[in-house]
Amino acid sequence: MAEPSGLVQGTLDMLILKTLALAPMHGYGIAQRIEQMSQGVFSVNAGSLFVALQRLQRAGLIRGEWKATENSRRAKYYVLTRAGRQRFERETREWGRQAAAIARILGAT
Amino acid sequence: MSMLRKVASGLRGLFLRERVDRELEEELRTCLELEIEARMREGMSREEAARAVRLKRGNIEVAKEIVHAAGWESVVDSWWRDLRFAARALRRSPGFATVAIVTLGLGIGASTAIFSVVEAVLLRSLPYPDPARIVRVWELRPDGHRMPFADPNFADFRAQNRTFASLAEYSTWPASVSGGSEPVRVDVTTVSDDFFSSLGVAPFRGRGFAKDERRLHGAPAVIVSYRFWQRRLGAAPDLSRSPLVIDGKVYPVVGVMPARFDFPPGVAAWIPRQFEPEPSRTAHNFQAIGRLRDGTSLAQARADVSTIAHRIKAQYGKDVELFDASVAPLADDLVGEVRAALLTLSGAVGLLLLVACANVAGLLLARTSARRKEVAVRAALGAGRGRLIQQFMAESMFLSCAGGVLGIVIAIGAVRALPTVIPTNLPRQEGIGINPAVLLFALAATLLVALGLGLFSSRRLGAEDLQQALSAGSRNYSHGGNRRLRHFLVTGEIALTLAILVGAGLLGRSFLRLVSTSPGFHQENLVTIGFSPPAAKWSDPQAIARQVHQLDEIVSRLRAIPRVESVGLTGALPVAGGDDMATGNFLLLNGAPTPADLEGFGRMARDSSRVGHADYCVVGEDYFRTLGVPLRRGREFDSRDVVETPHVAVINESLARQRWPGRDPVGQIIEFGNMDSNLQPLTIVGVVGDVRARARFSPARHRLCGLPSARSPERQVAHPPRAQRCSRRRDHFGGARHFP
Repeated sequence: MAEPSGLVQGTLDMLILKTLALAPMHGYGIAQRIEQMSQGVFSVNAGSLFVALQRLQRAGLIRGEWKATENSRRAKYYVLTRAGRQRFERETREWGRQAAAIARILGAT
Repeated sequence: MSMLRKVASGLRGLFLRERVDRELEEELRTCLELEIEARMREGMSREEAARAVRLKRGNIEVAKEIVHAAGWESVVDSWWRDLRFAARALRRSPGFATVAIVTLGLGIGASTAIFSVVEAVLLRSLPYPDPARIVRVWELRPDGHRMPFADPNFADFRAQNRTFASLAEYSTWPASVSGGSEPVRVDVTTVSDDFFSSLGVAPFRGRGFAKDERRLHGAPAVIVSYRFWQRRLGAAPDLSRSPLVIDGKVYPVVGVMPARFDFPPGVAAWIPRQFEPEPSRTAHNFQAIGRLRDGTSLAQARADVSTIAHRIKAQYGKDVELFDASVAPLADDLVGEVRAALLTLSGAVGLLLLVACANVAGLLLARTSARRKEVAVRAALGAGRGRLIQQFMAESMFLSCAGGVLGIVIAIGAVRALPTVIPTNLPRQEGIGINPAVLLFALAATLLVALGLGLFSSRRLGAEDLQQALSAGSRNYSHGGNRRLRHFLVTGEIALTLAILVGAGLLGRSFLRLVSTSPGFHQENLVTIGFSPPAAKWSDPQAIARQVHQLDEIVSRLRAIPRVESVGLTGALPVAGGDDMATGNFLLLNGAPTPADLEGFGRMARDSSRVGHADYCVVGEDYFRTLGVPLRRGREFDSRDVVETPHVAVINESLARQRWPGRDPVGQIIEFGNMDSNLQPLTIVGVVGDVRARARFSPARHRLCGLPSARSPERQVAHPPRAQRCSRRRDHFGGARHFP
């Protein structure tokens, strides 16, 4: 039940934002998507996921609404707000910059 | 914005907890169900799928707990639950709860009430701009006694100082003022240039004094206080319609000071100083106030005025009485000796609160011991140390908050009752009240008490201790060492409480001694009335005869009132007279001839062995009996003492001790020439008890009382044209309306 290895604090938030930037999604969908995209490296337990969802909701980055799923169940779908999209774009840029810099440092001979 | 959302969402979690709970549960269930269905589609059986999902995602109840604990509201929630638990637990022992709450309530209430006084009197800054720079300045005698300024000395200080932005002199006297709704007797102050600018306050209506009004014999003008304007002038917007008559002279009202302006305290009107300066360097008739230059320290100002004082002393020698000069912040001067008394009282009340806490802590100790098993069980069931401490904190918080609320109620009542208890001469007392600062103090005291008690009662929640308690089961866990420790703790606490109690008692006693210092006279049934007889020049015998007659008439009419026991006249009342008490040098003649003139007086005064210094005041016959001042030797003034007979004086005990130690002063002959320009020697006929002249807190000063005024006109009128009338009634209230 511990956090999956390598998932540092704050990264989960970004992964959720990334998932929702593609399409509105419910909790299970988000977990599944993260696993798929990371090709099984990250696996998320329910506690961590829903704490993160509550945190993002309170920060005004995402918003939840109850909708019917494709197999007509009711589920809570999360949607990125404008602030959430801005935050996601900013963090992506920042992440890319840092990752590139770190890669350059590690790759230097 | 995001903060607001956090709060709103948290509040929703708190107050719609069930709904939020249901929603979260539904959401979690849906998600798990979706995943199970997905697995089943991959060919798993439902049980297998459910097991796999549970393994991967975790237990749904645990997830719920984690989400709950993440929000801020969970902290509030757990406190709330602990508080409710504490309330329930306390309801089961109402005796303990009542005693603890009432004890804390009394402690917090008393401290809050006293803090409201301290806040208004000591802590609140004066309502003037940059109040720290406003100072009072005094001439100093060699014995360190402060004196008001003599005109020429003040002029020198004003011209020569380098540390004051402005320096002003003023003098206050009670006057009859009419022109408003009815004639009233109020204090009026004459002020020199720069008086208002020293305080940094301008009239809020009308204008300050114009140049034409600030010169010698200039145009009359008066500025009135906000209170006077409201009460006597009906807050009339047009000031020009209601000129005032002050002591028989007409003054147009040119301005109204703002409501917060109250200096000198209680004064109703200010008029510009237009009379010629007095040439004497020993006529100490003027108070001085100044504003320090920006960036000048008090020490610099003190050095500056000291230099000037020494220069004046070097230049005029025996013609001046000043030896040095002193500068004190106006705030300190207004508060005066009360500071020590108030701080003593604060200390006593603080200790009282400590005693209250110690008592409640003692009760809590007994409770904690009885509850050790309960605590041990809770700990064994998984409650963390922090959680247990929180529970004890909640209990002490509950007690102390209830005590705090009770305390505020008590404080409100106490503040309302204060005016009847505190000395009437306590300065700045009109500002005392329950305001936000005082409430904040009560809150801080409450929280501090809660924290202290909580830590105290949870301090022995060590794990090993708990285990011991648990293993000891229902038996009395009476391991030898442990019991000894507990006995030691209990004994120590009782000893500490006793020590604190004794300390509080001692401080309380010294406060009582400070405020209840006998003023030297009996205040019960004593009624005082002030009046100003019309001024009469002492060189005009007819006017004097008229005044003597008038005063005699007043006294005999007052004596005729039923239930009036005795009546006496004085030029300055003790306590109320305050700074106005005249003070000066006298000669011990002891057989030497009376000096022919003031110059001769001055020559003789150079021999310090024959000079004494005392306050001086003219009083009438029966004065000491009326005031209840005990007669130690000889007699007081009576009907024998008239203008034609040799003039006589009565002195107080401390003067007798100082100048005639071990001898009988009765029969000694002295001369108090420069007080009233009258060179007739005075024969001492009596010694009376000391009366505290200034505030009740100040020590008794050497004091000498001159002739009975009504019987010796020249002295009465040579004295400032004020007389106070005291009469003693046999009952408190009955006869009050008989007086005009």
